[in-house]
Amino acid sequence: MKLYVYYLSGGTSVREAESVSGVAGCAVRLMSVGQLTVAVSEFAGDAVAITRENVLAHERVVRSVLRHTTPLPFRFGTLATEAQLQSYLQSQQELLQSKLQFVSGCVEMSVKIIWPGVDTIEEVPAFRTNHSLDSTKDGAGAAFLKAKRREVLVEQIATAKAAEIASWLKARLAPSIRKDQVTIRTRDKLVLAAAHLVDQSFLDNYRRELRKARDERPDLHFLTSGPWPPYSFVNIDLEFKTQFGVS
Amino acid sequence: MRSTFEEVLVDGEVDSLEGSDLSLLETLDHVLNRGLVIAGEITIAVADIDLVFVGLNVLVSSVETAHEVLREREQQATLPASNASEVSAGSELPEIE
Repeated sequence: MKLYVYYLSGGTSVREAESVSGVAGCAVRLMSVGQLTVAVSEFAGDAVAITRENVLAHERVVRSVLRHTTPLPFRFGTLATEAQLQSYLQSQQELLQSKLQFVSGCVEMSVKIIWPGVDTIEEVPAFRTNHSLDSTKDGAGAAFLKAKRREVLVEQIATAKAAEIASWLKARLAPSIRKDQVTIRTRDKLVLAAAHLVDQSFLDNYRRELRKARDERPDLHFLTSGPWPPYSFVNIDLEFKTQFGVS
Repeated sequence: MRSTFEEVLVDGEVDSLEGSDLSLLETLDHVLNRGLVIAGEITIAVADIDLVFVGLNVLVSSVETAHEVLREREQQATLPASNASEVSAGSELPEIE
């Protein structure tokens, strides 16, 4: 029997998760190693199906403690034996403690930005001046090269736009965030996905600044969500790979 | 509303997505793509990279659909336009705007 692992926290005083139903309807229990506590439930099987119920159960358990402490959430689908989990916690104790300290008192806020202008990129002056649209008189070779040139130009313009948006957003929200993780995507309308680690005492200020920023840019579409447990600020998987000889 | 993520993500029918589906996709994006990993021990039933990629595309499409619906409603109600997606989230999910 394996354990499904939900989150890790720094003590045993917060026990809300034990009253929440876990993945596959199983009861959640807390397991402590040294100063660290993990929330787990028994799991029969080798794989966790990605269903609405399971995903919500995972998030519900992690979220249950968010009001009292900032947990380090495990990725959905994490299974381990009790021995492996004990070994992980013992070997990574120091690193996990420092991660817990870093996210302490914070939540994650998510901002995704869509640039609808990518559909009309050929009307952007930078595109027109660098690219002749008329390829009707070209041979196959020239048409191919023009098509490639077009791809390069579109990516260049989209990259510049995404960088401009990222820099603008950072400038607007910097006073309210402890750390950010920004992903720029230049081949989609969704040009930017940002995760912001925000101290809970700065949350109102963050929301106010975000609202102002949105009003400033009617050319962009925003999808904002949160507060989340700090999923984007806890990746420390590399250290564990050598522990079990996995590369 | 669809009952599972698999159905939402693989069938490509984004026009009928509701606000709660958008919330679920945001949840999916978080819980599936990020978080602590015990390398070598993580077992996910579906290849995560493809799933998240598809999920994000559905997300974009569903946001755009939400905008179209909002625009139509705003025109009908002659309210001022907004560039924000106002999507109601389920009680067990984070607030999504």
